[in-house]
Amino acid sequence: MTTRRFATVPSATRRQFLAYSGAVAAALTAAGCSAPPGAATATRPSASSGARLTKIGLDYPFTQLPLYSTLVKLSTAGAKKHGASLLTTNDGANADTQASNLTTWVARKVPAIVSFPMVFEATEAIAKAALDAGLIWVTYGGSLEHQSADIQFSFRKGGTLLGTAAAKWAAEQLGGKGKIAFLTDSTIELGRERTKGMIDAFTELAPGVDVVAQEQAIDPDTGLAKTQAILAKHPDLNLVLGVTDAAAYGGFKALQQAGRKKDDARTFVGGQDGSAPSLVAIKQGTFYRASAALAPDDIAHAIVEVPRAVAAGKADPGVEVPIALVGPGDTAAIDDLLAQNG
Amino acid sequence: MTAADSVLTRPRLVASGGLTTLRRQPLIVVLGVMVAAFQLSTGSFLDPANLRGIATDAATLAIVAVPSALLVISGYLDLSVGSTLALGGLVGGWLAGQGQSPVVAVLGALAAGAAVGAVNGVLCCYFGLSAFIVTLGMLTAVRGLAQQLFPLPLSGFGTGFAWLGGARIAGLAAPVVVAALVLAAGALFLALTPAGRHVFAIGVNREAAHLSGIDVRRTPFALFVITGVAAALAGAIKASVLDSVVAGTSGSGFELAVLTAVLVGGVALTGGSGSILGVLLGVLFLGCLQNGLTLLDVPTFWQQMAQGSALVAGAALAYFAPRAAR
Repeated sequence: MTTRRFATVPSATRRQFLAYSGAVAAALTAAGCSAPPGAATATRPSASSGARLTKIGLDYPFTQLPLYSTLVKLSTAGAKKHGASLLTTNDGANADTQASNLTTWVARKVPAIVSFPMVFEATEAIAKAALDAGLIWVTYGGSLEHQSADIQFSFRKGGTLLGTAAAKWAAEQLGGKGKIAFLTDSTIELGRERTKGMIDAFTELAPGVDVVAQEQAIDPDTGLAKTQAILAKHPDLNLVLGVTDAAAYGGFKALQQAGRKKDDARTFVGGQDGSAPSLVAIKQGTFYRASAALAPDDIAHAIVEVPRAVAAGKADPGVEVPIALVGPGDTAAIDDLLAQNG
Repeated sequence: MTAADSVLTRPRLVASGGLTTLRRQPLIVVLGVMVAAFQLSTGSFLDPANLRGIATDAATLAIVAVPSALLVISGYLDLSVGSTLALGGLVGGWLAGQGQSPVVAVLGALAAGAAVGAVNGVLCCYFGLSAFIVTLGMLTAVRGLAQQLFPLPLSGFGTGFAWLGGARIAGLAAPVVVAALVLAAGALFLALTPAGRHVFAIGVNREAAHLSGIDVRRTPFALFVITGVAAALAGAIKASVLDSVVAGTSGSGFELAVLTAVLVGGVALTGGSGSILGVLLGVLFLGCLQNGLTLLDVPTFWQQMAQGSALVAGAALAYFAPRAAR
């Protein structure tokens, strides 16, 4: 298994945003999350350049995700170290509410805004207004034409890491034969990128493994139900790869309920996100064998440091948050991630 | 009528009763056709393992749909069940994770659900506020409370708590047994108890029911509490099955699934009519449809279209067929 401890990975695309799990897809789908394909980034120095930041506004719309609480906690602590306070919005995964909250912040002249746009096109005008007002605008999970800097993520890379590890395992443990089911997401750009990375890497490296199903599932309930149905048709299913850890965890439970031993040597489940239940399952040596994980510390660090770097007038202040695959041998990395998740 | 006459006429009566049931519950035919079609096209739909999966999935929906249907029949509704489910799962899971016995964990979950139901019941039945507005507000408020109390995912609840979702009782999964008990209790309550008849009376005409001496507040209040308890129980079962629960996403959209099952099952949204058999059929209809489409490898967006179309067709059939029969 290829394992890397949060090494920086090359940029894959500008339409990337943060790890997610659970039933957020419906809200995201309705909002159509993605940066416009042709969005050309033109960063602009802010009037706040050189000034000390006393407030940083974090606009993260998916407040229902566990990651949100973790990021707020870590970013608040990070901001406090520099004498700044962290403001937050309650967008409720609603693009209209997000636009309203951001407009209010611009009117209130919050000096630095870090925003994860639900609809990139719709946020462009607000970002421009923020820059025109001399505020710092940091785009999270993509790029806008009007921004001071951005925080990028490589989601296709996460899928590729997982698909590659699973293909390698299939070659070693199954002689390159077997059956795989993918729990995918085709509703939002992030999901499509993760899905493509995962499927492309696996099918290219393990052409002898039959792909018996590709089912939409991002939450554990759906992952459980879909895998149960797939198992009815293919009881000898060997691998389940998930676009999220939450969905893959549902598949993990479905396989166990079908009588598969927790440490079955001919079964592989893997997901993406680095969510706590999955990390624990990996650490315990079960057949949940891999997760492509983002470190909350890295993200929170970027949320605080990128606007500070812009304020300090640093050149090219944007960052790409690294993603890495963790497996059963990465106990220290798993412990570190679990500690970061609180 | 002599004994011989009775024996001779009984089959006819049974046949006539069966026909009446079919006319009142056309979803039986739809379900039968759907099951046959899925079996013929997949070859594995009726496999015992698959049926067990469908039953286990449908169990939590049935547990909540039964009291929800009673509420709708009495002229109310509860849209907060998705968040109550999450709260119940979190409280139960947290208690189990703290080393409490599974019984204490489940009782804690039920208490949380009862509290939510009591708030709904007081506001709707005693203060006369709109059930739609109150329970919609509670849907958001309870979700917020759950996220505030449990911002991080909970997992690893231990083998004792796992019994609730994973145990087998007489060869059936524990959630299926619980669902069967809830269905039976709901049916008996409606058919055999005065309070069951009060539910219909209140739903048909609240004022007339009041003038007839029926306590039009107490019965719906009790139903709100029972619905909250049922949602929390479903949450505890889900947490047990998955050995994990996330405050922000657990039970998200569940209220719509419950309402859909209730309405497709022929319960009138305006109150006053409906049956537990219909609710069971609605729950099975949803479960079989999702499972069958997955077995058929239907692409995601086609699945959504098929599910939406089938639901509208099922609801239309449930509405029009009994009228046509009359």
